[in-house]
Amino acid sequence: MESYFEWAKSVTDPAKVYEKPEALEGIRVLDVSYGNFAGLFASSILAELGAEVIKIEPPEGDIARKMTPFGIKHKDTGLAFLAEGRNKYYITLNLRTERGKELYKKLVKKSDVVIETFKPGEADELGIGYKTLREENPRLIYVAISTSGSFGPHVKKMRSYDIIEQARSSLMYATGEAEFDPEVPEEYKVPLREGNWLGWYTGGAWAAYGVLLALFWREKSGKGQFIDVSPCECLLRHSNYFLQYYHEAKRLVPRSGPYDPAVFAYTVVKSRDSYVFIGAYSDPNWKGLTELISRPDLFKRFPTPKERLIFENQIEMKREIEKWSQERDGDEIVRLAQEHNLDETRTGTVVVGKVCTPKQASENDAHFERDILKAFNDPYYGKLLVQGSSFGKMSETPGRIKWLCRPVGADNVYVYTKILGLDAKDLKLLKESKVI
Amino acid sequence: MREDNFYEKILDPNKISEKPEALKGIRVLELCNVVLGPALTDFLAEFGAEVIKVELPGIGDVMRTVTPGFFYYRNLSPGFEEQNHNKYHVAIDLRKNEGRELIYRIVRKCDVVADNYRPGTLDKWGIGYRQLSKIKPDIIYVACSGFGQWGRDALRVSYDAVAQAESGLMHITGFPGRPPIKSGAWILDFQTSITGAMAVVAALIYRKRTGKGQFIDVTQIESAIRMMDWTWVYIGLTGNDRDRVGNRDLAIVPSNVYRTKDGFVAIAAFTPEEFLGLCSAMGREDLKKYENPEDRLIPKVAEEIDLAISEWCKNLTSSEIEEVGERYGFPCSKVLSAEDIYYSEHFRARKTVWTLEDHLYGEVAEVQAIKMSETPGRIKWVGRPVGFDNEHVFVRLLGMSVDEIKSLEEKGVIGKWSDRKGSSPPENWDGKSGLFF
Repeated sequence: MESYFEWAKSVTDPAKVYEKPEALEGIRVLDVSYGNFAGLFASSILAELGAEVIKIEPPEGDIARKMTPFGIKHKDTGLAFLAEGRNKYYITLNLRTERGKELYKKLVKKSDVVIETFKPGEADELGIGYKTLREENPRLIYVAISTSGSFGPHVKKMRSYDIIEQARSSLMYATGEAEFDPEVPEEYKVPLREGNWLGWYTGGAWAAYGVLLALFWREKSGKGQFIDVSPCECLLRHSNYFLQYYHEAKRLVPRSGPYDPAVFAYTVVKSRDSYVFIGAYSDPNWKGLTELISRPDLFKRFPTPKERLIFENQIEMKREIEKWSQERDGDEIVRLAQEHNLDETRTGTVVVGKVCTPKQASENDAHFERDILKAFNDPYYGKLLVQGSSFGKMSETPGRIKWLCRPVGADNVYVYTKILGLDAKDLKLLKESKVI
Repeated sequence: MREDNFYEKILDPNKISEKPEALKGIRVLELCNVVLGPALTDFLAEFGAEVIKVELPGIGDVMRTVTPGFFYYRNLSPGFEEQNHNKYHVAIDLRKNEGRELIYRIVRKCDVVADNYRPGTLDKWGIGYRQLSKIKPDIIYVACSGFGQWGRDALRVSYDAVAQAESGLMHITGFPGRPPIKSGAWILDFQTSITGAMAVVAALIYRKRTGKGQFIDVTQIESAIRMMDWTWVYIGLTGNDRDRVGNRDLAIVPSNVYRTKDGFVAIAAFTPEEFLGLCSAMGREDLKKYENPEDRLIPKVAEEIDLAISEWCKNLTSSEIEEVGERYGFPCSKVLSAEDIYYSEHFRARKTVWTLEDHLYGEVAEVQAIKMSETPGRIKWVGRPVGFDNEHVFVRLLGMSVDEIKSLEEKGVIGKWSDRKGSSPPENWDGKSGLFF
């Protein structure tokens, strides 16, 4: 019989993705987000799953195209935008003109989903909020992404930024170097952001989840709905038990750096050439780790979580583990742990990961084999290294990339002609009056 | 203000229980442990799916004993509570033949199966997708793991932080010249779970149209790589690596966290309008020459602006800055702790902080993420003891007789909690409260 792994590969083989159908075929999404990667990630997800996403930008382009490290651009497009431009159609439309609003409403009538990131209340002030649009299209699924959400006693009229979302999630407060480690200089005992746009990416994922739920519901009921997404609230949902624990114990989880208030060993140690994560917190796994590093004395001294959850002990255990790990390279530690885990005569499981730099990660063939990293050859932007779809391994309807991005307004002719039936003369007039 | 009333009305948190649920009628079998997996089904349960969580009789899910400093809330560990809501808890020994048979009987009535065992384990035990899809051909099966169901690393064991480490995410988190920092939370367990939940709903939509189920493979490492924004394009184009830069943002200036008189505040102002507002607020007309956002991305300029803001923040309280931000139109916020959020009128009114009186544990506080006007999510109860819903599920769903239940119990095929903390009911439990059958 075919082995499990051969079978699993055969049903989710990246080489066969483009032969398979798409889950959201026939769904049309309008992304009117502006300077916001929660919105862009949400529409990327839907586009990977087969929806027809039309990205609407003001005539001068989405400012998100300018959010790029050191200002580096490729063919006049920022690098982050290139990563989240996939499979979308790009049109321009000035929503602050009457003609622009009129065209927008016509597009909404023929669409299933709207994703926007206006300041709360702004879309309604313009006359193009959900209040108006649901009259035009009762089946419309409308996603509004903002920091404070659309209602509540302190609705803030500000646009969403990743750093603000991270700051309001409780996660930043609990991330950073250990407050209780005397060796950490005071200036570093501060709340720390996650290095990527985690607030936006978490918010974007939940926005897309809301859309999928609403699409599923609409099949049954025929009804659209409004979805209020505050990325910081989504990230709070991903912030372990911080809120529950505060309610119950009236205590906060401290910033713990390489330590952990609930499990140990769950730490990051130095190796000869890198840092390495080591996890071995249940009694048998911790015992296994002390066997692996030939330090049975550590198991004797810290046999149960009772000893291992004391922070002073964690500092000491980490120091002792480092005596072993600093003598070895990161890759070697990963290999030794793997051998330990596969050897049934040894105790427990020691979970290890080398702290790679992104560049090192980008040189790992395994990621290319599974198609989560790929050098994609785009018809306009050429060959770029990009992340693949995290829905790539669905056996029937895998997510995929078809193209990476398009310049501002590149699909005006196609979209306005195909969907709204405008002809060359109409488009010329719109251009002259700066509507598109 | 009328606008606000409109949204408050259609999203009214007090009317949630009167509204329908998007996933009502969808039954999910959870064969999972720890966080990635249980959080996935938790996200489905929040929107109405009926989740049957299977644990090993006795101790159950290992998260039942994961808690900061031995703290248990009436015998419930916060680490288990966070990703187990609205579920039915049964305990079956999957390694026994009769346990397997029992899974077959349950899966006939299910729409979705979630698995987070080491790749191939459930297949070896006869309850993987290959076997279950013979019994229920349209089953949607989502397998969660660190590195995938196939490939070079398939057999490697993984925790959340392994993927943080190997993706490069940990490397870009922290201050320059200081160690890389692992996140304060298991962010990739949750991000992979929301990815899996999306895949399941996409598969449900597809099944409705075609009648076909499918097999889904989601992984921690791929969730991490997917959400690392511009990292890969940057490496591909420049050949440079990406390093950690503390709280700054190389692609958005200004965007940083600043020390104030009484704490920390995050400020961002990328559009010309926001940036000019910030300059006016600081009384720094001279910086207005950097109105064009692209000019501010030049490292020297970024540094100059950053310095100006940090000097300005030092002499103000976080609330003062928030107030000025609202007046001058630039986004900012105090860095909030769980305590700040817990007591915030705003998050309470939105039911983001969702309190309820649980039948077993009394008052609990949970978190709700998105708000939907027609099919809002909701929290009904929190994680229950091991095997707490055995009778409810085996009798009501399978029509099992009392004799059969007893016999399976005697053989150790099914069971309940042990005395271990976190797996058993609260100490003063009356033997009835919270039971559905």
